[in-house]
Amino acid sequence: MSGHNESILREPLITGDNITYAKITDDILSPVENKPNKAWWIGFIVSALGALLWVVAVSYTFWNGIGAWGLNKTVGWAWDITGFVWWVGIGHAGTLISAVLLLFRQNWRNSINRSAEAMTIFAVICAATYVVSHMGRPWLAYWVLPLPNQFGSLWVNFNSPLVWDMFAISTYFSVSLLFWYTGLLPDIATIRDRAVGTRKKIYSIFSFGWTGSVKTWQRFEAVSLILAGISTPLVLSVHTIVSMDFATSVIPGWHTTIFPPYFVAGAIFSGFAMVLTLLLVARKVLGLENYITMFHIESMNKIIILTGSIVGVAYLTEFFIAWYSGSEYEQYAFINRSTGPYWWSYWMMMTCNVISPQLLWFKKIRLSIKATWILSIVVNVGMWFERFVIIVTSLHRDYIPSSWAMFYPTWVDISVFVGSIGLFFTLFLLFLRVLPSIAIAEVKLLLKTASEQAKMKQIKEGHENKEYVAEYIESLEKFDSVKQEDYAKI
Amino acid sequence: MESNKKYWKGLEEYKNTPDFVKNNKDEFAEPLPIEDVLNEAGLSTVTPRRDFLKALGFGLGAVTLAACQTAPIHKSIPYLVKPEEVTPGIPNYYTSSFNGQSILVKTREGRPIKIEPNPNAGEFNVGTDARAQASVLDLYDVSKLKAPVLKNEETTWTKIDSYVKGELAKAQAGGKKIRIVASTVNSPSTNAVLAQFVTKYPAAKLVQYDAVSYTGIIQANQNSFGKAVLPKYNFNKADLILSFGADFLGTWINGEEFTAQYTANRNYRSLEGKKMSRHIQFESGMSLTGTNADTRVPVKLSEEGPALIALYNAITGQALPGGTLGNNATADKVIKLAAKELVQSKGKALVVCGSNDVSTQILVNAINAAIGSYGTTIDLDNPCFLYAGNDAEFNGLVAEMTRGEVGAVLFLNSNPAYDYLDAKKFEAALKNVPAKISFADRADETASLCDAIAINHNYLESWGDANAYEGYYSIVQPTINPVFNSRQAEESLLIWADAPIKEYYQFVRNNWETKMLPALGLTWSDVLEKGVITVPAKPAGAYSFTQSLAQVATAIASSSKALNKDVQLQVYENIPMRDGKNANNAFLQELPDPVSKVTWDNYVALAPKFAESLKVKEFDVVTVKGSNGYSVDLPVLIQPGQAQGTASIALGYGRSKVGKAGNDVGKNAFPFVSFVNGTMQYATTVTITPTGGYYELAQTQTHHSFEGRAVIKEATFKEYLKDASAGNHKGDHKNYDLWDEYEKPGNNWVMAIDLNACTGCGSCVVACNVENNIPVVGRDEVRRRREMHWIRIDRYYSYETPNGDVTKEKEIAKLEDLDHVSVVHQPMLCQHCDHAPCETVCPVLATVHSSDGLNQMAYNRCVGTRYCANNCPYKVRRFNWFNYWNDSRFDNYLNNEFTQLVLNPDVTTRSRGVMEKCSMCVQRIQAGKLKAKIEKRPLKDGDIKMACQEACSANAIIFGDSNDPNSEVSKALRSERIYYVLEEINVKPGIGYMTKIRNTDTTVQA
Repeated sequence: MSGHNESILREPLITGDNITYAKITDDILSPVENKPNKAWWIGFIVSALGALLWVVAVSYTFWNGIGAWGLNKTVGWAWDITGFVWWVGIGHAGTLISAVLLLFRQNWRNSINRSAEAMTIFAVICAATYVVSHMGRPWLAYWVLPLPNQFGSLWVNFNSPLVWDMFAISTYFSVSLLFWYTGLLPDIATIRDRAVGTRKKIYSIFSFGWTGSVKTWQRFEAVSLILAGISTPLVLSVHTIVSMDFATSVIPGWHTTIFPPYFVAGAIFSGFAMVLTLLLVARKVLGLENYITMFHIESMNKIIILTGSIVGVAYLTEFFIAWYSGSEYEQYAFINRSTGPYWWSYWMMMTCNVISPQLLWFKKIRLSIKATWILSIVVNVGMWFERFVIIVTSLHRDYIPSSWAMFYPTWVDISVFVGSIGLFFTLFLLFLRVLPSIAIAEVKLLLKTASEQAKMKQIKEGHENKEYVAEYIESLEKFDSVKQEDYAKI
Repeated sequence: MESNKKYWKGLEEYKNTPDFVKNNKDEFAEPLPIEDVLNEAGLSTVTPRRDFLKALGFGLGAVTLAACQTAPIHKSIPYLVKPEEVTPGIPNYYTSSFNGQSILVKTREGRPIKIEPNPNAGEFNVGTDARAQASVLDLYDVSKLKAPVLKNEETTWTKIDSYVKGELAKAQAGGKKIRIVASTVNSPSTNAVLAQFVTKYPAAKLVQYDAVSYTGIIQANQNSFGKAVLPKYNFNKADLILSFGADFLGTWINGEEFTAQYTANRNYRSLEGKKMSRHIQFESGMSLTGTNADTRVPVKLSEEGPALIALYNAITGQALPGGTLGNNATADKVIKLAAKELVQSKGKALVVCGSNDVSTQILVNAINAAIGSYGTTIDLDNPCFLYAGNDAEFNGLVAEMTRGEVGAVLFLNSNPAYDYLDAKKFEAALKNVPAKISFADRADETASLCDAIAINHNYLESWGDANAYEGYYSIVQPTINPVFNSRQAEESLLIWADAPIKEYYQFVRNNWETKMLPALGLTWSDVLEKGVITVPAKPAGAYSFTQSLAQVATAIASSSKALNKDVQLQVYENIPMRDGKNANNAFLQELPDPVSKVTWDNYVALAPKFAESLKVKEFDVVTVKGSNGYSVDLPVLIQPGQAQGTASIALGYGRSKVGKAGNDVGKNAFPFVSFVNGTMQYATTVTITPTGGYYELAQTQTHHSFEGRAVIKEATFKEYLKDASAGNHKGDHKNYDLWDEYEKPGNNWVMAIDLNACTGCGSCVVACNVENNIPVVGRDEVRRRREMHWIRIDRYYSYETPNGDVTKEKEIAKLEDLDHVSVVHQPMLCQHCDHAPCETVCPVLATVHSSDGLNQMAYNRCVGTRYCANNCPYKVRRFNWFNYWNDSRFDNYLNNEFTQLVLNPDVTTRSRGVMEKCSMCVQRIQAGKLKAKIEKRPLKDGDIKMACQEACSANAIIFGDSNDPNSEVSKALRSERIYYVLEEINVKPGIGYMTKIRNTDTTVQA
């Protein structure tokens, strides 16, 4: 792929000069091969405490029963399924980045796909914990699997969206894990080659005997493409099926045909926000500015504007349809969302998900790391509220007014959720320590064509159109990792 | 042939060596070293190592083997001689009586587990009230004493007997009085026992003391007609009913029977005959009866008397003074119109009043006489014996006790230390009585002050009888051996009286066989079988009222004036707790009040606007201080329909010594009762001051309006007469189904619920609890909205305005006049939808449809995702958030092996994490089918009855097979009034509801 030059108009995907293959390896493996710094330890301890809280809260729930949560006869799901959908949604960006963008040859994905995929896997783990822990009898969770059994003719109900869910989530998890691990093989081999002693032995086992031969690479590329092909429909199907948990029900506010696309858009929206939350910090702390550039950040922000706007349109469409349907229950459900006892959660959702991403239309905000980071968190707060609004405010006042009730979380509800965030970050921080957070091999692919120094070489060769060069140089202004003075003289 | 062959063993024998010959004589071939071992040296030898190891090895092995018990052994002992009538798995039913009502007690393997009404006991013996349903639990109450108590120590009956006899003899000899304080005794046998007791101890006398008394009515009848009785009311004969504060469908005299009479004129059968009675209620607090009234007018307590005077004047044209209702224009208007209607329906009308004031009741008698009620709707010649308490008599006793004139006092089924208006005075008086004996089953407030507690049987362990009405006798027979070392009170009395017959069974039997049965030509076993015998009723005479009412009017005016203060307080019995005697019954504590839906507490009910003027909000704790100085801190409940300027507090709460479940639940309101003009008065004046505290009441329903949804359909009687489907017009729209129809080849079990019959009393809720082992979850869990009731009564308020009824929360908030509230009760349970939304979403098929139309729940398969409950449009599914029936945190009653005996063995208890809901009493359906199969006949309509249906006094629930076009339910479901709740979402519910019809469109309109 490196035989020809890339258009000068394209912004560089790797910045910095004197970037060599060796330097890429050194830069990316630095956190893996060196002792962790103080920032990592602080983050890890806080996250591990969070994970511990999760263990305590979930054990408490298992020991005492679901009654430890604030649920009641009317609101049978609240923070549990809110958390579940939230985590599944977050996972979606990883798959989109690794699979869809690969198929579309979006090379900028190469720098972020590894972390995004790791995030997917950890988010799906967090989501899966809710699947089990929200059950009244979690020790029987395996009953939702269509396992041959000796209980007679007992089988699962293929009409139930929860069974679809089980298939969707397990497929999603296994395919994501496979895809992620396949991508990791050459990088693990790199670590193996540089490691000594026990480390070498461990990495050598996990590298599955990667040799780096042409045949290996060829097969690697083929498998990646096939897995991308398998993963791509999952980006759409998983959250579609999650949305069917609600859409196939009869509850006003849930029974909505718009849910599948709306949920998928919301999932990508929240997923990219989470990628930003993680990578903006990782980029700085791990010194990866040259690989995760402003271009990446801006691209992700653009996706957030797009998906955020889709979500906004979906919110408005729901309202319109509620009015247009003429169904009094549906109408009440939506009026109740915006003006009922939980109005604040609705407006929280609207502000965070619809209004705040629109700020990203401003280039200044889009290119501000601080603003982006804050907005990425705001978006995920909003997305949590979106699920809370859908689940709790629809349930708490449905058809029969006598059963209308309020939901108040207990400390256990809160701890399970906060704890799941702790669990997620614990896993992510461990990941940063043992595996390369950027796909080394894939980034190396870009060095000869799409890096700043390659472009610089192209300019210096002088065959490029001057106007284009000027445009290119202008585009570099936003990069915080580009030495602008190098271009001043050109 | 015998063989002569000789077999030799060994060459020695063959050769017959001398050695062999010598040794052959001995038993052992070699001499045993006995001498060596037993000599001194042998005994003192040290055990050799090898022997020690052998012994050790053997010992260890033996002990190990002995310890290897395979499993704990549960001995199940078969009957050595099997009782003829007990077959494991098959229930037996015995007739008995509860509070004078004839009932059937269902027993399984010798345990009473359910109460049903006795179907042979008269036209209006339909259903039972919540107390009767819950009463089985009292039998298994662990808070009861297990043996008699003497001077605070458990003792034996011999010691009790010698103590009591000694004390009684001492009192008798010392010229002191002996008093038996009992709540109304209407049992002929008990009365006979008391007669024998009095013969032995002439100083003894029975003092009947009812916590909530009807002395006023009894004395008014004495005054007006010379008959000191509580009349028999015939609500079924009344086309027009006016009630002034009488909660006759609930707590007044015999609400259960009145409900049956009342609804007979209002249910779907009556409506199909184009007939419906009209009911106007004037009251201050919102009672169950008030919620069912066609027209309900809130009046202050002080306005009740003037209203009656005004009514009297309007009917008779006289001009008694004091009949002005200046400040209550609505009441004034309604009274005038009602008077016209009463005159029109002369002989078919009834006026009742809940007051215990003699003068007021005399006036009511005058009104009833004027409208010709005597002989038709009121029967003075076949009176009611359910209440005979005499307030003045008990008050006199307290005075006697204080003066030290009483040598011994016995408390039978009475607890004045809790429910007397001045408990402190009573306690002080009690100290002056040398011998205090209680027959209570527990060390309650009074019993704990007594010297001896001769613990009485529960009624399910007792023999006895009851005489609720003239000529109506029912039997009480035991259904279980006494569980504890208790003895029936009557038997104790017989023993203490040295009566010739001391065994109470024999006594009751003799009493019946000598006094009642010969005349009727019946035998003792007839009585036990039928449970009730009736002597032909005397003709009810018409009575005219001739006395002057001048004095009465003055008395009424003065008590009205006394009450006319800022805050008038009414203390009343509520449906679950009544007078508080059953306060330890967790089923009753968790039964929501039919109006406020509050469980586990009493409260101060205030009208919304009045609460605003007092600057208090719902659940604010206020201090209520009575004119007698007594004060309690209670939370406020905003009660629409409560009269302005009044407050209501329920009696029966605040017990301190009743047991685990009932202690310190709510506050005691009995001290607000006052003794005026010879009777207990339940109205008083108070001041209300906010304390600044906040206390959340545990309500099972917190949203009170139905938001104009088609969940409730209503019409007026006038509209109904024009068009039977009034209020129930269905638009013509097409239905499309995603799912295939289920085939129902055999039966299709469905229900019809008549909203016009349902009064909302809640006895179905308790019946369902008992039948289906539904756990009681306690106050905190109800606050978290987690009560487990499979059937609930939804109660909605709507507000009458000139522009029609307002039913939406947001519009109600804008209303100024919140007094004119109309109420609808709707029993809500699993609708057994044919397209059940719960069934499609369960991942593990734990809830599925049966071929006979039931939506079934397989508890064992449930993993507890709660998706079914979320997707249930009716929100009738209940989740076991905890292991309620066996978790010490929820020990309201059931967490012990003894109380667990109350569980119905046909219904499994559900563990934590499992969903449950109404099963349409599937165990009853199976039992009915099985019975028909054994009898080789097809099922008949009415063979199978639901627990809720059986308990319903109003016959509001009709259950049956819709595949049988002639079944009662099929007929009912063909009514034009039938609608299905939420039928628009096409879940095809199996329960049809009938439009609520209100008889409001007459000349009288509030």
